[in-house]
Amino acid sequence: MSPADAITPTLDVAPERLAIRLRGVANRFGKTTIHENLDLDILRGETVGVVGGSGTGKSVLLRAIIGLRAPQAGSIEVLGQDVWHASQAQRSVLDRSVGVMFQDGALFSNLTVKENVVVPLAEHTELEGALLDEIAMLKIALAGLPGDAAGKVPGELSGGMRKRAALARALALDPQILFLDEPTAGLDPITAGRFDELVNELRSALGLTVYLITHDLDTLRDACDRVAVLADGKVSSIGPLDYVREHAEGWTREYFSGPRGRAALG
Amino acid sequence: MAHTAAVLEIAAGPQGPVGVVRGDWTVMTLAGLAATLAQQRGQLAGLDVGGLGQIDTAGALMLGRLLIPQDAGTAADPATGDRISGDHPSAARLVREVMARACANPPAPQPPTGLKDILERIGRGVAHAWQETLETLGFVGQTVATIGAGIKDPRRIRWIPTVSIMESAGFNAIPIVLVLSFFIGAVVAFLGAGILEGFGATIFTVELVGFSVMREFGALITAIILAGRSASAFTAQIGSMRMTQEVDAMKVIGLDPMDMLVVPRVIAMVLMGPILTFLAILSGLVGGIVVATLQLDISPALFLARLQENVGLSYFWAGLVKAPVFAALIAIIGCRQGLEVEKDVISLGRHTTAAVVQSIFMVIVVNAIFAMIYLELDL
Repeated sequence: MSPADAITPTLDVAPERLAIRLRGVANRFGKTTIHENLDLDILRGETVGVVGGSGTGKSVLLRAIIGLRAPQAGSIEVLGQDVWHASQAQRSVLDRSVGVMFQDGALFSNLTVKENVVVPLAEHTELEGALLDEIAMLKIALAGLPGDAAGKVPGELSGGMRKRAALARALALDPQILFLDEPTAGLDPITAGRFDELVNELRSALGLTVYLITHDLDTLRDACDRVAVLADGKVSSIGPLDYVREHAEGWTREYFSGPRGRAALG
Repeated sequence: MAHTAAVLEIAAGPQGPVGVVRGDWTVMTLAGLAATLAQQRGQLAGLDVGGLGQIDTAGALMLGRLLIPQDAGTAADPATGDRISGDHPSAARLVREVMARACANPPAPQPPTGLKDILERIGRGVAHAWQETLETLGFVGQTVATIGAGIKDPRRIRWIPTVSIMESAGFNAIPIVLVLSFFIGAVVAFLGAGILEGFGATIFTVELVGFSVMREFGALITAIILAGRSASAFTAQIGSMRMTQEVDAMKVIGLDPMDMLVVPRVIAMVLMGPILTFLAILSGLVGGIVVATLQLDISPALFLARLQENVGLSYFWAGLVKAPVFAALIAIIGCRQGLEVEKDVISLGRHTTAAVVQSIFMVIVVNAIFAMIYLELDL
């Protein structure tokens, strides 16, 4: 099954072809239910863009998948491993296979860009000295940053460069899955477009699975194989952009056919 | 995911030595091969990746560097992939992709060494300290001017935040001030009793406690507590507002941060400083009385009578007069450091430390100046 005909939240494929598998996930804050009985399958090697109105829990779902906030019910498997029932050793392997770029970068502000990239490498590998430096510099170059940015601290970088630096750190351990939280938010259209290209390039060069949260219609068009719409506590609609647009209802319809949607998607 | 060790063997080939690659070449395995990689860098004419297991970008970079040393790698050579033989699903492509993007490591900046650098650092430190002093004085002037404008036009003074700060920075500090100065008073009484007993002059403990607590310790203990408690809080509050651009927002709306943030804190501290000092003096005397009664057989009535007779009110005023000065200094330094905070977390920490250090330093220096003035006044 290719992403083009995967138009249901759950897919009928062999488990090893799935990068992420969510079943019956529920997230609640007190009496407020954010997700209820949410299912989602993401294939290895595809880029899925997650959209949804404010308060539909895009970030909450991301935090549940990457192991930062436990869901109240349901199972979350990443690369075949249950995130919330993994042993310490299994979690460590999982942490190495997953790269996360947080919305504001979440770079360590007292470290230079290169030191930020070195942190995961030094923690999880036995690399040291010149080899470590060289590999860190490669990641910085892969994220599209010029070499002289490596010695700067995050405070000295522009917003777009900070995002690239965060991407370089997310790529440090050659993750199989890359999570991007609003990668193009706050970037000018040209920088945002370059970032989309970069994600595409990296994905094809490194064979990454990319899970990205975005509001940016251009990113959905240019960088995503499939679009998943979060509404009413679950994945209300999923599939290639054209499919989702054709079968849009309610919020999704407004989203795609509003003036901005028409301007971006034609 | 288990990894097998990365292996590199050199075999002779038609164009030169060929590296035969086996095992997994990933960030997890490369450390074991560091020495060989450094030695063989740029030495190989080709690579045979038929036996290669897993590979990631780090492994691909190392394979590429075996073919092209770092210097040449700057001018990226995508043709590197063509010098790779053997059957592997992704190695040749990955090496090509990585080498097309890799850039040379910029030279690391030289860490400063030698006498000249040390002198330079000392010079910078001195210049920085002088600059800080000037700027603090400038800020004191600015604050005084703003308060002056507030006296002329009382509506400019924000009383609601002022009262709120009086509570959080002043009223809430009462318990700690009371407890600490009680113990200081008691310790001074013990200390004096021990020494004065030798002269048969135990009764002079009353004067010792009276002089020291009223003139020095009451004001000083209060000031040090306020410096630790409130200077740091002011810096952190205003500093985090700087980090979230709230201070910028105020300026744009037409609110002066001096009016909104600094003046209420200074007024609140100037009002609460003397009250706290007064309570500290009382509590210190009580500490002295308790020790005198229990340990030295000086009754509270006798203690108080001697205090009135021999110490007098002027010492009390000499101590209390210092309180608003200390309090104003602490508030001004705390606010100034807060307004200096930049957008990163480190500067918040640095300025909070500076606020506490500078305000304790200034309190002690100004206290010494007061002591000299009192000496000249024969107090």
